Amino acid sequence: MSDQRKIADLVHQQYEQLQRVSRRQFLGQVSLGLGAAALGSLMGAEQAVAAASRAPLSPLQGAVDPLHFAPKAKRVIFLCMAGGPSHLETFDYKPSLAKMDGKPMPESYTKGQPIAQLQGKELKALGPQKGFKQYGQGGISVSDWLPNIGSVADEICVVKSMVTEQINHDPAHTFMNTGTAISGRPSMGSWVNYGLGSMTDDLPGFCVLVSDAKSRNPQPIASRQWSSGFLPSKFSGVELNSIGDPVHYVKNPPGITRTQQDHLISAVKDLNRMRDQEHYDPEIESRIAQYELAFKMQMAVPELTDLAEEPQEILDMYGATPGDGSFSSNCLMARRLAERGVRFIHLYHRGWDHHDGLIKHMDKCCLTADQATAALIKDLKQRGMLDDTLVVWGGEFGRTPMSQRGIGRDHHIKGFSMFMAGGGVKGGMTYGETDELGYNAVENVVNVRDLHATMLHLLGIDHKRLTVKYQGLDVKLTGVEHHTRVVKDIIA
Amino acid sequence: MKTRRPNSFGIKVIAGTMSLLGVSVALLLVVILPTRSSDSPINTDEITLHHAANKETNKEAAKKVSFNRDIRPILTENCYACHGPDAHDAKADVQLHSEKVAHDGFLIVPGELEVSEVWLRITDKKKPMPPVDSHKVLTAKQKDLIKRWIEQGAEYEPHWAYVAPQITEPPVVQDRDWSDHWIDNYILAKLEDKGFEPVEDADRVTLIRRLSFDLTGLPPTPQEVEAFVQDASPQAYEKLIDRLLASPHFGERMAIYWLDVVRFADTVGYHGDQTMSISPYRDWVIWAFNENIPYDQFVTHQVAGDMVEDPSGNALIASAYNRLYQTSHEGGIQRKEYEAIYDADRVRNFSEAFMGATIGCAQCHDHKYDPYTDEDFYSLAAFFGQVDDLWHLPSYEGRNGPGTNSNPTKREPTVDILSPLDTQRKAALEAKLAKATDAALKKTIQDELKAIKPRKLMIAKQLRAEKYRPVRFLSRGNWNDDTGDVMKPAVPAFMGELDVEGTPTRMDLAGWLTKPSEQGGIGELNARVMVNRLWYLMFGEGLTTSLGDFGGQGVPPNHPELLDRLAIEFVESGWDIKAMLKTMAMARTYRLSSEPTKELMTADQNNEFFARQSQRRLPAEMIRDNALLVSGLLIDQLGGDSARPYQPVGYYMHLNFPKRTYKQDEDRNQWRRGVYVHWQRQFLHPMLKSFDAPSREECTAKRSISNTPLAALVMLNDPTFVEAARNFAQRVLTEAEGDDRARLDWAMMQTLSRKASDKQAQLILGLLKANRDAFTASPASAEQLLAVGLSPRNEKLDKVEHAAWTEVCRVLFNLHETMTRP
Repeated sequence: MSDQRKIADLVHQQYEQLQRVSRRQFLGQVSLGLGAAALGSLMGAEQAVAAASRAPLSPLQGAVDPLHFAPKAKRVIFLCMAGGPSHLETFDYKPSLAKMDGKPMPESYTKGQPIAQLQGKELKALGPQKGFKQYGQGGISVSDWLPNIGSVADEICVVKSMVTEQINHDPAHTFMNTGTAISGRPSMGSWVNYGLGSMTDDLPGFCVLVSDAKSRNPQPIASRQWSSGFLPSKFSGVELNSIGDPVHYVKNPPGITRTQQDHLISAVKDLNRMRDQEHYDPEIESRIAQYELAFKMQMAVPELTDLAEEPQEILDMYGATPGDGSFSSNCLMARRLAERGVRFIHLYHRGWDHHDGLIKHMDKCCLTADQATAALIKDLKQRGMLDDTLVVWGGEFGRTPMSQRGIGRDHHIKGFSMFMAGGGVKGGMTYGETDELGYNAVENVVNVRDLHATMLHLLGIDHKRLTVKYQGLDVKLTGVEHHTRVVKDIIA
Repeated sequence: MKTRRPNSFGIKVIAGTMSLLGVSVALLLVVILPTRSSDSPINTDEITLHHAANKETNKEAAKKVSFNRDIRPILTENCYACHGPDAHDAKADVQLHSEKVAHDGFLIVPGELEVSEVWLRITDKKKPMPPVDSHKVLTAKQKDLIKRWIEQGAEYEPHWAYVAPQITEPPVVQDRDWSDHWIDNYILAKLEDKGFEPVEDADRVTLIRRLSFDLTGLPPTPQEVEAFVQDASPQAYEKLIDRLLASPHFGERMAIYWLDVVRFADTVGYHGDQTMSISPYRDWVIWAFNENIPYDQFVTHQVAGDMVEDPSGNALIASAYNRLYQTSHEGGIQRKEYEAIYDADRVRNFSEAFMGATIGCAQCHDHKYDPYTDEDFYSLAAFFGQVDDLWHLPSYEGRNGPGTNSNPTKREPTVDILSPLDTQRKAALEAKLAKATDAALKKTIQDELKAIKPRKLMIAKQLRAEKYRPVRFLSRGNWNDDTGDVMKPAVPAFMGELDVEGTPTRMDLAGWLTKPSEQGGIGELNARVMVNRLWYLMFGEGLTTSLGDFGGQGVPPNHPELLDRLAIEFVESGWDIKAMLKTMAMARTYRLSSEPTKELMTADQNNEFFARQSQRRLPAEMIRDNALLVSGLLIDQLGGDSARPYQPVGYYMHLNFPKRTYKQDEDRNQWRRGVYVHWQRQFLHPMLKSFDAPSREECTAKRSISNTPLAALVMLNDPTFVEAARNFAQRVLTEAEGDDRARLDWAMMQTLSRKASDKQAQLILGLLKANRDAFTASPASAEQLLAVGLSPRNEKLDKVEHAAWTEVCRVLFNLHETMTRP
């Protein structure tokens, strides 16, 4: 019975306890009080900037320990192109669709299939709106909208046979992030941090950056997308904001200097410790540790977000202007987060829902996404970090081969493209195919759960064994489906 | 089948039901068959003798193995995923949840270990069960339990939560003096059995703090503490309970919990997350708790209040429960898909909120652990096909759906209505106005009266659809499959059948939930779910810890007899929530100190046996309320529109359809209790979120309690708390008398109901001095700090002094002790 009751609270308590233990160890090492502790951490952080990719800062233990396999990747940068970019104008070139342009889409494709805004409308094919070129040794086809990504073709593996189950944005994002469309489940960034533990003790292990694309009506992005669901909230994604405080409430109140804040936190800590000596409460120790962490975060975040310290050529490479909150700046920030030991970095580019005006909107979206994405890959590579950083690029679904409102495309879930780079993935290859009109993925189909399983595999985790008891089920990121697979063909 | 008696969770009736139903259903029912004691080949006395003869010294080993206590958890955890109630997916057609199938198929042969296939398979070295790739492993202890269970006759027992509560006499305890109450007998008996010593009683200060937080969500004032400590009457404690239960803040406190359970929020949840017109429902919940509406009526009105004759309109407001699910107004949603999503949302919440059941799991397949079938799921969903969803779905039957991007969302039908709290407040103000003579006061009251206006609520007397929206059985949950039968509304088959003419309605469903078994309902079972939650609110943990899952994967209670007794008392009291809370508060078990001894920390770290009370961090809302109350900012008003406190700039920038700019309240609404804060499902206020308030997308019967640096940053830097500290400092400087030390003690009394120790005082006064110096050196900094928040400052106060004391008050707000329920 006693065992049973413990199971019910396993996750929460184990992790609270784990944290307490490691905090205690930490406090044991740094007994000089908060000022010294913070100073020590600052020095550590600076050294870490140089060494982050090689030697992680005192890793806090994850649930999977030891790892199931030798990991190829230590961290993930997930570049979500929210709205759903057209695969037909990015990586999946379909000459046959060009020939069909303006003609009715054959019913054999569309009959009885889920459909979004084109419900009840006449379905006509729309040919590719841009030319394609072949890049790199693998001869990967990339649209002329993405020449910079083309230039790193040898680093990337394009999966042209993605499928998903959700045809509307909100549930499709939820599905892409949590493996189910039902709200309340942990996001993949939370799963990864839960499984692997953190590599930083002054930043959250799961950071999120959302950019407005200044393009078509931007996609709403709910904070549910980075929720830790039923996992303890410390695994929740923390958004780094482009306006206001980079992390909520990270700035001291107006008029309060660092010394005063330091003094205040010291007093709180000391008073809590006095309380602990008189009245036993196991939570006090943890509370003290969290105030230390909060103070360290107050130090670390401004340093992290100060892009102005980057050399001009790096800023130019990304197309970043410090403080503009653009996707370009956020890609640069992603690299800085990766250097500082953040485990899962999730970016959203909100501009890709091209129901109409596709050419105009692709012009704008690709301009930023193309340069910054390629810059990130090159920058990681030149710092020796690409090998253990998995970069994933793609939307929550693709777009129809059928036209909408002139030159536009509706949501499409039966076949679309994503790409991966680094982190143990083969470069210079494509995987899977859609049919000749780009409607159905027909060869080496990869569904969202397969993507999750593959990502976890690269991180050293068997997706079947990363489970948490919730509502009586052993819940997994990859759900209950038995046929979920790791896509081994794309692993180097 | 129509001849079946509706009373059917009792064991005998179920057994009788079996022969009347199809075989497949029977398989699901046998789990709650009575044990076959008549033909059980093993005599338990023999077992005891057998073990004694073997000089088995271990007392545990000689004990009879209980299916519910010992075996079911093992089977559920390790076997049922493939060999459980889900008949469709049972591997090799083997199902172990059912005594009949397990015994008849020689899977388990009572008393015959060597021929029991189950035993052979779990001990098979080459191909053991559970299979290696399941990553499940039976421990030696678990195998031993299974072994002894089979040897002892392999008797199954009905799952505890499906059996009506049984009344028992409170157990006799050795230490008769200790027990004050029958609750204590149940608790102490277990403690004595375990050899645990209960801790000392809590002191009176702790007691009034605990009780004030538990029953009102607010700390006691120093005057209240003093009065209680000085009250020599034997009824002092009981009077305190009565006073707090009668407080209008009782309803607010209870609503914090209930609104999580029913997933109440101010916005639609999906995609554009537009605001919806729902806040009168929150007022109703507060009002209902304050008025102590019997729980059966409380449930009935939420499920089917639109069908109740209630001239006050309150039952109608309650029925807005049916509008609390998440909706999407995204362009291009498919009607059938969203009908399925909404139905599932409602079934999930309905079953978890009112039954402690996870029937949502049966959307795509029979439940893996409980006897709920996928047909049960769609039969239950069919009740909600009776709710008019025309405006919640795109183009329904040729009619246009709601405008997609309007904010607030346009969803008819709606009514403009005064909430019961509005009505009460109006009456009180009118009475006050009648007595008022002062012109200025009259004007104030008149203005307040004018501000009370009917609010829009997405509900109508005809919430019922003109025509039932047919709910089809969706095989594997596939909404695109039109071949399934249209389901008749029905309750889960293994729990019986509704005895009504024609199509059962939500009213019949509510009746079934709340009526006792004699009248064909499952009221006693649901009473158990609710009293367990009330126990959780009073003790920090439920008697069963799985507050939302009373099924096979839930956690069986350590004190089943106590839980049963509480449930029966609850029903017999007329579902009296306040009486039940008072019963619990009167027990000595409630009044214990919350400090564990070293022994208890080792022996019972999680406090499963209640040898002590529990210290726990306050819920998010109370942390806010606490600071606002102490600072003097809290607006003491029940009900009303949702409040919009200060929020980080740009927090809603990722919302769209339409784009949103948060507009904080610029009036007194700024300082309202946390329960009234605008609940944006996609972007819940960061303060609430940091302290574990849920997004309310789904039922939350128990919040997690985290301890994170983000929460520390809220307490340190959120302007709400800085402003509260500034106002609290103002109170210190204007209301407290004497020197710094005396003022500090006064402030400590406000926040912690105690004075500072010398050591603490020295430390805090040191900080005060340092800040005096700092602000003297930089008066502009003092001004900046004092400018935080909308509330006016008493300009007579010296700025340096005010700012320095603000820092002291910030320290007090940030103490662990301040945010802990003792």
